[in-house]
Amino acid sequence: MALIRDFALQSAEMLLVLLLSPLLIGFVRKVKARLLRRKGPPLVQPYHDLLRLMHKDVVLAERASWLFRVIPYIIFAGTWVAASLVPTFRSGLLFSWSADLIAIIALLGSARFFLALAGLDVGTSFGGIGSSREVMIASLAEPAMLMIVFTLALVAGSTQLSTMAAFMASGEEGLRVSLGLALLALIMVAIAENARIPIDNPATHLELTMVHEAMVLEYSGRHLALIDLSSELKLLLYVSVIGCLFAPWGIAGPDASPRAIAIGLAAYVAKLAVGGFLLAVFETGIAKMRVFRAPAFLGAALMLGLLGTLLLFVSRSL
Amino acid sequence: MPLAAALALTAGLFHVFNHSVFKSLLFFGAGAVLNSTGERDMEHLGGLIHRMPQTAFVFLIGCVAISALPPLNGFVSEWLTFQAILLSPQLPSWGLKFLVPAVGALLALSAALAAACFVKAFGVSFLGRPRTPAAAQAKETDANSLAAMYFLAALCLVAGILPGLFIDALAPVTKSLVGVSMPYQAGVEWLSIVPIAESRSSYNGLLVFVFVLISGSIAALAIHRLASNGLRRAPAWDCGYPDASPATQYTASSFAQPIRRVYGATVFRAREIGEMPPPGSTAPARFHVDLRDLVWDFAYAPIAIGIAFATERLDVLQFLTIRSYLALVFTALVLLLLVLAIWP
Repeated sequence: MALIRDFALQSAEMLLVLLLSPLLIGFVRKVKARLLRRKGPPLVQPYHDLLRLMHKDVVLAERASWLFRVIPYIIFAGTWVAASLVPTFRSGLLFSWSADLIAIIALLGSARFFLALAGLDVGTSFGGIGSSREVMIASLAEPAMLMIVFTLALVAGSTQLSTMAAFMASGEEGLRVSLGLALLALIMVAIAENARIPIDNPATHLELTMVHEAMVLEYSGRHLALIDLSSELKLLLYVSVIGCLFAPWGIAGPDASPRAIAIGLAAYVAKLAVGGFLLAVFETGIAKMRVFRAPAFLGAALMLGLLGTLLLFVSRSL
Repeated sequence: MPLAAALALTAGLFHVFNHSVFKSLLFFGAGAVLNSTGERDMEHLGGLIHRMPQTAFVFLIGCVAISALPPLNGFVSEWLTFQAILLSPQLPSWGLKFLVPAVGALLALSAALAAACFVKAFGVSFLGRPRTPAAAQAKETDANSLAAMYFLAALCLVAGILPGLFIDALAPVTKSLVGVSMPYQAGVEWLSIVPIAESRSSYNGLLVFVFVLISGSIAALAIHRLASNGLRRAPAWDCGYPDASPATQYTASSFAQPIRRVYGATVFRAREIGEMPPPGSTAPARFHVDLRDLVWDFAYAPIAIGIAFATERLDVLQFLTIRSYLALVFTALVLLLLVLAIWP
């Protein structure tokens, strides 16, 4: 009985992240538009976009290989699994022990690996420019992300997200300098990983500075829908990770009552809204960087992460 | 502490095993490409996935494995190494304490650079359009070579999704070297691996693999059934710019340009020099990349310069008269006798 309940909750979590992720993007776009005194598209526009794309035929480049057609499903599956292993409204989900934070980051790395390959498949110059820049950004963002994981894991004594979230929620640690550095670095990495301003512009086409949109240029129809949904899931994943580690309030425990689960759900939606709002404010207030300034941005994130880890070695209280 | 040592040693040995598997697979793949096209230069390949689909498939598995990506084996040994690094605060020596996390960052950097390298290797050789007639005429390699590669690729997957078996097999080695071995993994439920304690960290490659497989299939089924499964072939879009020539594709060196610019500018003193012809001239524009290896400049070059200087000075000895040679031999003899006389 308990197994069935856990299984149902795990499935609910998988469906929840899938259903909420387009809403988060819609919310960010709406807030950005309102900040620019535009009316903006309706909140549910991303759902309409996905449905429209899914019902269209795929226009496939003549030279595209079988790999090009499989990659959207690989990317979607990898990102979806990674996103559903992050504790959102309830910790201790049935399968949360099957992959820790390092494995979740690595799953996203697999998705990116295949996306970069997709950029090269058709043999166009736009795809190549996107892929080569994506791997450059990844080569900086991954070590930075790992140093953040190290900092958090050394504080919490675990790389298991559920355990880490429970530890953070217990309030044993209080305020620590190294956690502050890790939070700052994590936000910087999240911005870079999700191809947001100032690293990349999610709303642009036909611009030599674009990265993510250049890689997916040859995709259309259901393939494009899956890739868009994956990047929406990825944004949701990063907001959820930041939420469950640095704002772990309201997350229901493993044996929570339905009421606690309802509170957890409400808290989760509130966290997403706050995260999306802050992202929109940040993006509105900052200009996009040149591609070759991104290393300085991510290098700063790496240094912050490394500093956080080293502080923990120097002192148990920092 | 002994448990951490056992974990680190197991991670190292497991990685050596994994490396031997995927590296062999990749070398077999490179050999198959060489056999079929006669080319070793990536810049002359491209589009092989259409001509050699099976080699491309197994080579791709090797690429994913060596880039330390889940659910294949390279990731498991990397993950175990990270778990060992996270135990480094227990270390007694301060120097090691500071060094080990930096090594962790370097390991993550090398994994990311390996992924970049293999996106380049696979993308430039197997994807895109053929750059030479040899690549356009390539033939699939023979069945025996394919069988060998499929075997190694299967081993990559098995070691990735059932790493517990391999960790247990390495237990006697760690036991004899550091006195203890990692906890027995085969007994852990759901075939997970748990290096220290479940609350600390666990990884289940099998479950991750099955999850990815199921959710990918669900997505494919749902979309094909409920939405559209139509497909139309058309020329590549490429933002509306027609590119008739395969030379407009990204090459291996253009793919590496951003990374070269970020890391190479200091490590290899990479300089990019673009020469534009003056206005009105029909001469082609030229682009050079200048790379210098600092190890060569500061470690080998001084020795080489010293040897060249000494040999040039000694060169005068070659053009002496017979009298001078005899005088030299005599002086040397006297000197040696003097040394013998003075030596106690």
